[in-house]
Amino acid sequence: MLRQPQSWAPGLFFPLLLAAVYASQFSRAVTIEGFPFPNVSFLDFVLPACVIQGVLFGSTNSASDLAADIENSFMDRLLVSPVSRGSILLSRLASAFIYGVAQAAVLISIFVLFGANIAGGFSSIISIVLIAAMLSVSMGSFGIAVALRTGSQEVVQSTFPLIFVAVFVSSAFFPVQLMEGWYGAIARKNPLTWVIDPTRRMAIEGFSWADFGQSLGIVLVIASIGILISIRQLRRRLVRAQ
Amino acid sequence: MSSFDSPQVPSFAVVFAGIQRGLIRLQRIPSLILPAVLMPIFFVVAFSGSFASIVELEGYETDKAVNWMTAWAVMQGAAFSGMGAGGLAGTDLENGFFDRLRVAPTRPMALIGGLVGYCVCRALIPITAVLIVAFAFLNADMPGGLLGVVMVYLSGVGMSVVMSFLVLGIVFTFKTLKSLAIAQIIMFSSMFLSVGQAPIQAIEGWLHHVAAVNPITNVIRMCRQGFLGEVTWATTQPGLIALLGMMLGTGIWARIRYKKVDA
Repeated sequence: MLRQPQSWAPGLFFPLLLAAVYASQFSRAVTIEGFPFPNVSFLDFVLPACVIQGVLFGSTNSASDLAADIENSFMDRLLVSPVSRGSILLSRLASAFIYGVAQAAVLISIFVLFGANIAGGFSSIISIVLIAAMLSVSMGSFGIAVALRTGSQEVVQSTFPLIFVAVFVSSAFFPVQLMEGWYGAIARKNPLTWVIDPTRRMAIEGFSWADFGQSLGIVLVIASIGILISIRQLRRRLVRAQ
Repeated sequence: MSSFDSPQVPSFAVVFAGIQRGLIRLQRIPSLILPAVLMPIFFVVAFSGSFASIVELEGYETDKAVNWMTAWAVMQGAAFSGMGAGGLAGTDLENGFFDRLRVAPTRPMALIGGLVGYCVCRALIPITAVLIVAFAFLNADMPGGLLGVVMVYLSGVGMSVVMSFLVLGIVFTFKTLKSLAIAQIIMFSSMFLSVGQAPIQAIEGWLHHVAAVNPITNVIRMCRQGFLGEVTWATTQPGLIALLGMMLGTGIWARIRYKKVDA
Protein backbone atom coordinates (compact mmCIF):
# COMPACT_ATOMS: atom_id res chain seq x y z
CA MET A 1 0.00 0.00 0.00
CA LEU A 2 2.83 2.37 0.86
CA ARG A 3 4.77 1.57 -2.30
CA GLN A 4 1.80 1.72 -4.64
CA PRO A 5 -0.51 4.61 -3.72
CA GLN A 6 -2.10 4.32 -7.16
CA SER A 7 -3.72 1.07 -5.98
CA TRP A 8 -5.71 2.67 -3.14
CA ALA A 9 -5.87 6.39 -4.02
CA PRO A 10 -8.73 6.05 -6.58
CA GLY A 11 -10.71 4.08 -3.99
CA LEU A 12 -10.56 7.13 -1.73
CA PHE A 13 -10.78 9.84 -4.34
CA PHE A 14 -13.83 8.76 -6.33
CA PRO A 15 -16.21 8.07 -3.40
CA LEU A 16 -15.25 11.41 -1.86
CA LEU A 17 -15.70 13.22 -5.16
CA LEU A 18 -19.10 11.60 -5.72
CA ALA A 19 -20.17 12.35 -2.14
CA ALA A 20 -19.09 15.98 -2.41
CA VAL A 21 -20.79 16.43 -5.77
CA TYR A 22 -24.00 14.56 -4.90
CA ALA A 23 -24.35 16.34 -1.56
CA SER A 24 -24.47 19.65 -3.46
CA GLN A 25 -26.34 18.50 -6.57
CA PHE A 26 -29.05 16.44 -4.89
CA SER A 27 -29.38 18.30 -1.60
CA ARG A 28 -33.02 19.08 -2.45
CA ALA A 29 -33.78 15.46 -3.36
CA VAL A 30 -34.71 14.79 0.26
CA THR A 31 -37.78 17.00 -0.28
CA ILE A 32 -39.18 14.68 -2.98
CA GLU A 33 -42.38 12.99 -1.84
CA GLY A 34 -41.65 9.45 -0.73
CA PHE A 35 -38.00 10.05 0.14
CA PRO A 36 -37.44 7.74 3.13
CA PHE A 37 -35.28 10.14 5.17
CA PRO A 38 -36.75 13.64 4.61
CA ASN A 39 -35.05 15.21 7.61
CA VAL A 40 -31.43 14.39 6.86
CA SER A 41 -28.85 15.93 4.57
CA PHE A 42 -28.02 14.13 1.32
CA LEU A 43 -24.44 13.81 2.62
CA ASP A 44 -25.71 11.74 5.54
CA PHE A 45 -27.80 9.71 3.11
CA VAL A 46 -24.88 8.80 0.80
CA LEU A 47 -22.30 8.27 3.57
CA PRO A 48 -22.74 4.50 4.02
CA ALA A 49 -22.98 3.95 0.26
CA CYS A 50 -19.79 5.92 -0.41
CA VAL A 51 -17.91 3.99 2.26
CA ILE A 52 -19.09 0.70 0.77
CA GLN A 53 -18.35 1.92 -2.76
CA GLY A 54 -14.80 2.93 -1.82
CA VAL A 55 -14.13 -0.37 -0.12
CA LEU A 56 -15.54 -2.32 -3.06
CA PHE A 57 -13.41 -0.39 -5.54
CA GLY A 58 -10.33 -1.40 -3.57
CA SER A 59 -11.46 -4.97 -2.94
CA THR A 60 -9.76 -6.35 -6.03
CA ASN A 61 -6.30 -5.19 -4.87
CA SER A 62 -5.49 -8.41 -2.99
CA ALA A 63 -6.69 -10.48 -5.93
CA SER A 64 -4.67 -8.37 -8.32
CA ASP A 65 -1.54 -8.86 -6.18
CA LEU A 66 -2.16 -12.61 -6.14
CA ALA A 67 -2.53 -12.64 -9.93
CA ALA A 68 0.75 -10.70 -10.17
CA ASP A 69 2.40 -13.36 -7.99
CA ILE A 70 1.12 -16.05 -10.36
CA GLU A 71 2.22 -14.08 -13.43
CA ASN A 72 5.77 -13.54 -12.18
CA SER A 73 6.03 -17.13 -10.81
CA PHE A 74 6.35 -16.04 -7.17
CA MET A 75 3.33 -18.27 -6.47
CA ASP A 76 5.31 -21.31 -7.68
CA ARG A 77 8.04 -20.52 -5.17
CA LEU A 78 5.42 -20.19 -2.43
CA LEU A 79 4.01 -23.58 -3.36
CA VAL A 80 7.39 -25.33 -3.03
CA SER A 81 8.08 -23.64 0.30
CA PRO A 82 7.02 -25.35 3.54
CA VAL A 83 3.98 -23.16 4.20
CA SER A 84 0.39 -24.18 4.69
CA ARG A 85 -1.64 -23.85 1.47
CA GLY A 86 -4.49 -22.35 3.43
CA SER A 87 -2.28 -19.54 4.69
CA ILE A 88 -1.75 -18.33 1.12
CA LEU A 89 -5.48 -17.76 0.81
CA LEU A 90 -5.94 -16.56 4.37
CA SER A 91 -3.20 -13.93 4.07
CA ARG A 92 -4.90 -12.43 1.00
CA LEU A 93 -8.28 -12.37 2.72
CA ALA A 94 -6.75 -10.84 5.84
CA SER A 95 -5.12 -8.20 3.67
CA ALA A 96 -8.53 -7.41 2.10
CA PHE A 97 -10.05 -7.12 5.60
CA ILE A 98 -7.33 -4.79 6.92
CA TYR A 99 -7.50 -2.72 3.76
CA GLY A 100 -11.29 -2.48 4.15
CA VAL A 101 -11.01 -1.38 7.79
CA ALA A 102 -8.41 1.27 6.96
CA GLN A 103 -10.29 2.64 3.99
CA ALA A 104 -13.68 2.72 5.74
CA ALA A 105 -12.17 4.43 8.79
CA VAL A 106 -10.45 7.08 6.66
CA LEU A 107 -13.58 7.73 4.58
CA ILE A 108 -15.85 8.03 7.64
CA SER A 109 -13.35 10.40 9.30
CA ILE A 110 -13.31 12.65 6.24
CA PHE A 111 -17.12 12.59 6.03
CA VAL A 112 -17.45 13.55 9.69
CA LEU A 113 -14.89 16.35 9.20
CA PHE A 114 -17.08 17.73 6.43
CA GLY A 115 -20.19 17.74 8.57
CA ALA A 116 -21.74 14.30 8.17
CA ASN A 117 -23.70 13.14 11.19
CA ILE A 118 -23.73 9.52 12.32
CA ALA A 119 -26.69 9.18 14.63
CA GLY A 120 -25.67 5.91 16.23
CA GLY A 121 -22.33 7.30 17.33
CA PHE A 122 -19.40 5.00 18.02
CA SER A 123 -21.35 1.73 17.85
CA SER A 124 -22.73 2.63 14.41
CA ILE A 125 -19.29 3.68 13.18
CA ILE A 126 -17.72 0.41 14.32
CA SER A 127 -20.58 -1.55 12.71
CA ILE A 128 -20.23 0.29 9.38
CA VAL A 129 -16.45 -0.25 9.38
CA LEU A 130 -16.90 -3.95 10.16
CA ILE A 131 -19.56 -4.45 7.47
CA ALA A 132 -17.46 -2.57 4.91
CA ALA A 133 -14.37 -4.63 5.77
CA MET A 134 -16.27 -7.90 5.51
CA LEU A 135 -17.69 -6.74 2.19
CA SER A 136 -14.12 -6.15 1.06
CA VAL A 137 -13.35 -9.76 2.06
CA SER A 138 -16.47 -10.98 0.21
CA MET A 139 -15.68 -9.27 -3.06
CA GLY A 140 -11.96 -9.89 -2.57
CA SER A 141 -12.63 -13.63 -2.30
CA PHE A 142 -14.41 -13.64 -5.66
CA GLY A 143 -11.48 -11.70 -7.13
CA ILE A 144 -9.05 -14.21 -5.60
CA ALA A 145 -11.02 -17.05 -7.22
CA VAL A 146 -10.71 -15.27 -10.58
CA ALA A 147 -6.98 -14.70 -9.98
CA LEU A 148 -6.42 -18.38 -9.12
CA ARG A 149 -8.45 -19.52 -12.09
CA THR A 150 -6.89 -17.25 -14.71
CA GLY A 151 -3.56 -16.14 -13.21
CA SER A 152 -4.03 -12.83 -15.01
CA GLN A 153 -3.98 -9.35 -13.47
CA GLU A 154 -5.78 -7.99 -16.50
CA VAL A 155 -8.70 -10.38 -16.06
CA VAL A 156 -8.94 -9.52 -12.35
CA GLN A 157 -8.96 -5.81 -13.19
CA SER A 158 -11.63 -6.37 -15.80
CA THR A 159 -14.04 -7.49 -13.06
CA PHE A 160 -14.09 -3.88 -11.85
CA PRO A 161 -16.98 -2.79 -14.12
CA LEU A 162 -19.12 -5.56 -12.58
CA ILE A 163 -18.57 -4.02 -9.14
CA PHE A 164 -19.33 -0.60 -10.59
CA VAL A 165 -22.61 -1.84 -12.07
CA ALA A 166 -23.56 -3.66 -8.85
CA VAL A 167 -23.06 -0.45 -6.83
CA PHE A 168 -25.04 1.77 -9.19
CA VAL A 169 -27.94 -0.65 -9.66
CA SER A 170 -28.67 -0.59 -5.94
CA SER A 171 -29.94 1.86 -3.34
CA ALA A 172 -26.42 3.31 -3.00
CA PHE A 173 -27.11 6.79 -4.34
CA PHE A 174 -30.89 7.02 -4.36
CA PRO A 175 -33.66 5.21 -2.49
CA VAL A 176 -35.16 2.25 -4.35
CA GLN A 177 -38.63 3.49 -3.35
CA LEU A 178 -38.18 6.30 -5.88
CA MET A 179 -36.83 4.13 -8.69
CA GLU A 180 -39.18 3.04 -11.44
CA GLY A 181 -39.71 0.09 -13.80
CA TRP A 182 -37.29 -2.77 -14.37
CA TYR A 183 -34.37 -0.74 -13.00
CA GLY A 184 -36.08 -0.34 -9.66
CA ALA A 185 -37.05 -4.02 -9.66
CA ILE A 186 -33.42 -5.12 -10.18
CA ALA A 187 -32.14 -2.62 -7.59
CA ARG A 188 -34.62 -3.97 -5.04
CA LYS A 189 -33.35 -7.54 -5.62
CA ASN A 190 -29.66 -6.56 -5.58
CA PRO A 191 -28.02 -8.03 -2.42
CA LEU A 192 -26.01 -4.81 -2.10
CA THR A 193 -29.30 -2.96 -1.51
CA TRP A 194 -30.03 -5.37 1.35
CA VAL A 195 -26.63 -4.50 2.82
CA ILE A 196 -26.71 -0.75 2.17
CA ASP A 197 -30.26 -0.06 3.44
CA PRO A 198 -29.79 -1.38 6.99
CA THR A 199 -26.30 0.12 7.14
CA ARG A 200 -27.81 3.46 6.16
CA ARG A 201 -30.49 3.14 8.84
CA MET A 202 -27.74 2.57 11.42
CA ALA A 203 -26.01 5.76 10.28
CA ILE A 204 -29.16 7.87 10.13
CA GLU A 205 -31.51 6.47 12.77
CA GLY A 206 -29.04 4.91 15.18
CA PHE A 207 -27.54 1.53 15.93
CA SER A 208 -29.83 -1.49 15.97
CA TRP A 209 -28.89 -5.14 16.34
CA ALA A 210 -31.49 -6.11 13.73
CA ASP A 211 -29.97 -3.85 11.08
CA PHE A 212 -26.44 -4.87 12.03
CA GLY A 213 -27.39 -8.55 11.92
CA GLN A 214 -29.08 -8.20 8.52
CA SER A 215 -26.13 -6.39 6.91
CA LEU A 216 -23.44 -8.55 8.40
CA GLY A 217 -25.41 -11.75 7.79
CA ILE A 218 -25.78 -11.06 4.06
CA VAL A 219 -22.14 -10.06 3.77
CA LEU A 220 -21.07 -13.26 5.57
CA VAL A 221 -23.18 -15.39 3.21
CA ILE A 222 -21.56 -13.68 0.18
CA ALA A 223 -18.11 -14.10 1.77
CA SER A 224 -18.74 -17.80 2.46
CA ILE A 225 -19.67 -18.43 -1.17
CA GLY A 226 -16.64 -16.49 -2.40
CA ILE A 227 -14.24 -18.25 -0.04
CA LEU A 228 -15.60 -21.69 -1.00
CA ILE A 229 -15.07 -20.88 -4.69
CA SER A 230 -11.56 -19.59 -3.90
CA ILE A 231 -10.66 -22.80 -2.01
CA ARG A 232 -11.91 -24.84 -4.94
CA GLN A 233 -9.81 -22.79 -7.38
CA LEU A 234 -6.75 -23.07 -5.13
CA ARG A 235 -7.12 -26.88 -5.05
CA ARG A 236 -7.50 -26.91 -8.81
CA ARG A 237 -4.32 -24.88 -9.22
CA LEU A 238 -2.45 -27.14 -6.80
CA VAL A 239 -3.50 -30.21 -8.81
CA ARG A 240 -2.33 -28.52 -12.01
CA ALA A 241 0.98 -27.55 -10.37
CA GLN A 242 1.79 -31.16 -9.40
CA MET B 1 19.14 11.74 -45.16
CA SER B 2 18.27 13.59 -41.98
CA SER B 3 14.92 15.12 -41.22
CA PHE B 4 16.42 18.56 -41.87
CA ASP B 5 16.92 18.07 -45.60
CA SER B 6 13.85 15.85 -46.11
CA PRO B 7 10.90 17.38 -47.89
CA GLN B 8 8.03 17.99 -45.46
CA VAL B 9 5.20 15.48 -45.71
CA PRO B 10 1.93 17.40 -46.18
CA SER B 11 0.27 17.80 -42.80
CA PHE B 12 -3.15 16.58 -43.93
CA ALA B 13 -1.55 13.31 -45.11
CA VAL B 14 0.10 12.85 -41.69
CA VAL B 15 -3.17 13.61 -39.89
CA PHE B 16 -5.01 11.15 -42.12
CA ALA B 17 -2.33 8.47 -41.57
CA GLY B 18 -2.53 9.07 -37.82
CA ILE B 19 -6.29 8.62 -37.84
CA GLN B 20 -6.00 5.51 -40.00
CA ARG B 21 -3.37 4.02 -37.71
CA GLY B 22 -5.55 4.57 -34.65
CA LEU B 23 -8.60 3.06 -36.31
CA ILE B 24 -6.63 0.00 -37.47
CA ARG B 25 -5.41 -0.45 -33.89
CA LEU B 26 -8.99 -0.18 -32.70
CA GLN B 27 -10.03 -2.85 -35.21
CA ARG B 28 -7.20 -5.14 -34.05
CA ILE B 29 -7.88 -4.64 -30.34
CA PRO B 30 -11.66 -4.23 -29.99
CA SER B 31 -11.33 -4.42 -26.20
CA LEU B 32 -9.99 -0.84 -26.39
CA ILE B 33 -13.36 0.52 -27.48
CA LEU B 34 -15.66 -1.74 -25.46
CA PRO B 35 -15.35 0.11 -22.12
CA ALA B 36 -15.63 3.45 -23.92
CA VAL B 37 -18.96 2.35 -25.41
CA LEU B 38 -20.35 0.25 -22.57
CA MET B 39 -19.67 2.76 -19.79
CA PRO B 40 -21.69 5.66 -21.28
CA ILE B 41 -24.49 3.23 -22.16
CA PHE B 42 -24.46 2.05 -18.58
CA PHE B 43 -24.39 5.68 -17.40
CA VAL B 44 -27.51 6.62 -19.33
CA VAL B 45 -29.35 3.51 -18.11
CA ALA B 46 -28.13 3.80 -14.51
CA PHE B 47 -28.59 7.53 -14.04
CA SER B 48 -31.98 7.56 -15.75
CA GLY B 49 -33.06 4.63 -13.58
CA SER B 50 -31.50 5.67 -10.29
CA PHE B 51 -32.53 9.29 -10.46
CA ALA B 52 -35.90 8.78 -12.17
CA SER B 53 -37.68 10.93 -9.57
CA ILE B 54 -35.12 13.71 -9.47
CA VAL B 55 -36.84 15.53 -12.36
CA GLU B 56 -39.65 16.40 -9.94
CA LEU B 57 -37.33 19.08 -8.57
CA GLU B 58 -37.33 22.60 -9.99
CA GLY B 59 -35.03 23.37 -12.91
CA TYR B 60 -34.95 20.08 -14.80
CA GLU B 61 -37.39 21.32 -17.48
CA THR B 62 -38.42 17.77 -18.38
CA ASP B 63 -40.57 15.03 -16.94
CA LYS B 64 -38.21 12.20 -17.92
CA ALA B 65 -34.82 11.68 -16.32
CA VAL B 66 -33.52 10.11 -19.53
CA ASN B 67 -33.93 13.45 -21.35
CA TRP B 68 -31.62 15.01 -18.80
CA MET B 69 -29.11 12.17 -18.43
CA THR B 70 -28.58 11.28 -22.11
CA ALA B 71 -26.57 14.44 -22.75
CA TRP B 72 -24.52 13.70 -19.63
CA ALA B 73 -23.76 10.16 -20.82
CA VAL B 74 -22.89 11.45 -24.32
CA MET B 75 -20.41 13.91 -22.84
CA GLN B 76 -18.89 11.22 -20.62
CA GLY B 77 -18.49 8.90 -23.62
CA ALA B 78 -16.99 11.65 -25.78
CA ALA B 79 -14.60 12.74 -23.03
CA PHE B 80 -13.57 9.16 -22.33
CA SER B 81 -12.80 8.69 -26.03
CA GLY B 82 -10.17 11.37 -25.60
CA MET B 83 -8.25 8.90 -23.47
CA GLY B 84 -7.58 7.00 -26.70
CA ALA B 85 -5.08 9.64 -27.82
CA GLY B 86 -3.21 9.34 -24.54
CA GLY B 87 -3.29 5.55 -24.71
CA LEU B 88 -1.77 5.49 -28.19
CA ALA B 89 0.81 8.18 -27.46
CA GLY B 90 1.71 6.58 -24.11
CA THR B 91 2.27 3.18 -25.75
CA ASP B 92 4.43 4.80 -28.45
CA LEU B 93 6.44 6.72 -25.85
CA GLU B 94 7.07 3.58 -23.78
CA ASN B 95 8.15 1.38 -26.70
CA GLY B 96 10.21 4.10 -28.39
CA PHE B 97 8.12 4.40 -31.56
CA PHE B 98 7.30 7.98 -30.65
CA ASP B 99 10.98 8.93 -31.06
CA ARG B 100 10.81 7.75 -34.67
CA LEU B 101 7.66 9.77 -35.25
CA ARG B 102 9.34 12.85 -33.81
CA VAL B 103 12.25 12.70 -36.25
CA ALA B 104 9.90 12.23 -39.21
CA PRO B 105 9.79 15.21 -41.60
CA THR B 106 6.46 16.56 -40.47
CA ARG B 107 4.96 19.22 -38.27
CA PRO B 108 4.30 18.37 -34.59
CA MET B 109 0.72 19.63 -34.84
CA ALA B 110 0.15 17.15 -37.67
CA LEU B 111 1.21 14.27 -35.40
CA ILE B 112 -0.97 15.60 -32.60
CA GLY B 113 -3.78 16.19 -35.11
CA GLY B 114 -3.65 12.53 -36.17
CA LEU B 115 -4.07 11.39 -32.57
CA VAL B 116 -6.89 13.86 -31.95
CA GLY B 117 -8.60 12.96 -35.23
CA TYR B 118 -8.52 9.30 -34.24
CA CYS B 119 -10.26 10.17 -30.99
CA VAL B 120 -12.93 12.18 -32.79
CA CYS B 121 -13.72 9.16 -34.99
CA ARG B 122 -13.68 6.98 -31.89
CA ALA B 123 -16.05 9.34 -30.05
CA LEU B 124 -18.70 8.95 -32.74
CA ILE B 125 -19.22 5.31 -31.68
CA PRO B 126 -20.25 5.90 -28.03
CA ILE B 127 -22.25 9.03 -28.95
CA THR B 128 -24.28 7.05 -31.49
CA ALA B 129 -24.62 4.05 -29.17
CA VAL B 130 -25.93 6.20 -26.31
CA LEU B 131 -28.45 7.91 -28.60
CA ILE B 132 -29.69 4.55 -29.93
CA VAL B 133 -30.16 3.16 -26.41
CA ALA B 134 -31.81 6.37 -25.17
CA PHE B 135 -34.31 6.59 -28.04
CA ALA B 136 -34.94 2.89 -28.69
CA PHE B 137 -35.05 1.51 -25.16
CA LEU B 138 -35.46 4.39 -22.72
CA ASN B 139 -38.04 6.51 -24.59
CA ALA B 140 -36.00 9.69 -24.74
CA ASP B 141 -37.57 12.70 -26.49
CA MET B 142 -35.97 15.14 -28.91
CA PRO B 143 -38.27 18.16 -29.28
CA GLY B 144 -35.31 20.01 -30.78
CA GLY B 145 -35.49 17.71 -33.83
CA LEU B 146 -32.60 17.14 -36.19
CA LEU B 147 -30.86 20.30 -35.02
CA GLY B 148 -30.91 18.89 -31.50
CA VAL B 149 -29.14 15.74 -32.73
CA VAL B 150 -26.59 17.92 -34.56
CA MET B 151 -25.94 19.76 -31.28
CA VAL B 152 -25.34 16.44 -29.51
CA TYR B 153 -22.73 15.37 -32.08
CA LEU B 154 -21.15 18.83 -32.27
CA SER B 155 -20.66 19.13 -28.53
CA GLY B 156 -19.58 15.48 -28.24
CA VAL B 157 -16.96 15.81 -30.95
CA GLY B 158 -15.78 19.10 -29.48
CA MET B 159 -15.44 17.57 -26.03
CA SER B 160 -13.43 14.65 -27.41
CA VAL B 161 -11.02 17.13 -29.05
CA VAL B 162 -10.61 19.06 -25.79
CA MET B 163 -10.03 15.91 -23.74
CA SER B 164 -7.62 14.47 -26.35
CA PHE B 165 -5.45 17.59 -26.14
CA LEU B 166 -5.63 17.58 -22.35
CA VAL B 167 -4.71 13.90 -22.03
CA LEU B 168 -1.92 14.22 -24.61
CA GLY B 169 -0.41 17.09 -22.64
CA ILE B 170 -0.43 14.92 -19.50
CA VAL B 171 1.06 11.89 -21.27
CA PHE B 172 3.76 14.06 -22.92
CA THR B 173 4.59 15.38 -19.45
CA PHE B 174 4.92 12.04 -17.65
CA LYS B 175 5.87 9.92 -20.71
CA THR B 176 4.14 6.83 -19.37
CA LEU B 177 0.83 5.05 -19.82
CA LYS B 178 0.34 5.11 -16.06
CA SER B 179 -0.24 8.86 -16.27
CA LEU B 180 -3.63 8.06 -17.81
CA ALA B 181 -4.84 7.57 -14.23
CA ILE B 182 -4.06 11.24 -13.52
CA ALA B 183 -5.78 12.22 -16.75
CA GLN B 184 -8.86 10.23 -15.74
CA ILE B 185 -9.06 11.95 -12.37
CA ILE B 186 -8.78 15.42 -13.93
CA MET B 187 -11.25 14.53 -16.67
CA PHE B 188 -13.92 13.03 -14.40
CA SER B 189 -13.55 15.79 -11.81
CA SER B 190 -14.01 18.54 -14.37
CA MET B 191 -17.03 16.75 -15.83
CA PHE B 192 -18.67 16.11 -12.46
CA LEU B 193 -18.17 19.71 -11.31
CA SER B 194 -20.72 20.94 -13.83
CA VAL B 195 -24.45 20.73 -14.53
CA GLY B 196 -24.04 17.17 -15.80
CA GLN B 197 -26.53 15.62 -13.42
CA ALA B 198 -28.43 18.57 -11.99
CA PRO B 199 -29.47 22.03 -13.19
CA ILE B 200 -27.62 25.00 -11.75
CA GLN B 201 -30.77 26.05 -9.82
CA ALA B 202 -30.76 22.75 -7.91
CA ILE B 203 -27.07 22.82 -7.02
CA GLU B 204 -26.20 24.33 -3.67
CA GLY B 205 -23.06 25.46 -1.86
CA TRP B 206 -19.55 25.55 -3.30
CA LEU B 207 -20.49 23.40 -6.31
CA HIS B 208 -23.02 25.99 -7.46
CA HIS B 209 -20.22 28.56 -7.89
CA VAL B 210 -17.81 26.06 -9.46
CA ALA B 211 -20.42 24.73 -11.91
CA ALA B 212 -21.40 28.28 -12.86
CA VAL B 213 -17.87 29.14 -14.02
CA ASN B 214 -16.94 25.68 -15.36
CA PRO B 215 -16.89 26.02 -19.18
CA ILE B 216 -18.05 22.40 -19.49
CA THR B 217 -21.41 23.56 -18.07
CA ASN B 218 -22.06 25.58 -21.24
CA VAL B 219 -21.06 22.68 -23.47
CA ILE B 220 -23.41 20.31 -21.65
CA ARG B 221 -26.24 22.85 -21.93
CA MET B 222 -25.58 23.10 -25.66
CA CYS B 223 -25.64 19.31 -25.94
CA ARG B 224 -28.77 18.94 -23.83
CA GLN B 225 -30.94 21.69 -25.31
CA GLY B 226 -32.53 19.53 -28.02
CA PHE B 227 -33.74 17.02 -25.41
CA LEU B 228 -35.51 19.74 -23.42
CA GLY B 229 -36.95 21.98 -26.15
CA GLU B 230 -36.06 24.01 -29.22
CA VAL B 231 -32.44 24.62 -30.17
CA THR B 232 -31.59 28.28 -29.64
CA TRP B 233 -28.61 30.45 -30.48
CA ALA B 234 -28.65 31.80 -26.91
CA THR B 235 -27.77 28.33 -25.59
CA THR B 236 -25.57 27.30 -28.51
CA GLN B 237 -23.30 30.36 -28.57
CA PRO B 238 -21.88 30.04 -25.01
CA GLY B 239 -21.30 26.35 -25.67
CA LEU B 240 -19.38 27.03 -28.87
CA ILE B 241 -17.31 29.77 -27.21
CA ALA B 242 -16.51 27.43 -24.31
CA LEU B 243 -15.50 24.64 -26.69
CA LEU B 244 -13.29 26.90 -28.80
CA GLY B 245 -11.68 28.41 -25.71
CA MET B 246 -10.97 25.01 -24.21
CA MET B 247 -9.66 23.67 -27.55
CA LEU B 248 -7.29 26.61 -27.81
CA GLY B 249 -6.08 26.28 -24.22
CA THR B 250 -5.63 22.52 -24.21
CA GLY B 251 -4.19 22.58 -27.75
CA ILE B 252 -1.47 25.03 -26.69
CA TRP B 253 -0.84 22.91 -23.58
CA ALA B 254 -0.44 19.72 -25.68
CA ARG B 255 1.89 21.52 -28.13
CA ILE B 256 4.08 22.93 -25.33
CA ARG B 257 4.32 19.54 -23.59
CA TYR B 258 5.15 17.88 -26.93
CA LYS B 259 8.06 20.24 -27.32
CA LYS B 260 9.31 19.28 -23.87
CA VAL B 261 9.07 15.50 -24.33
CA ASP B 262 12.86 15.28 -24.48
CA ALA B 263 13.34 17.59 -21.50
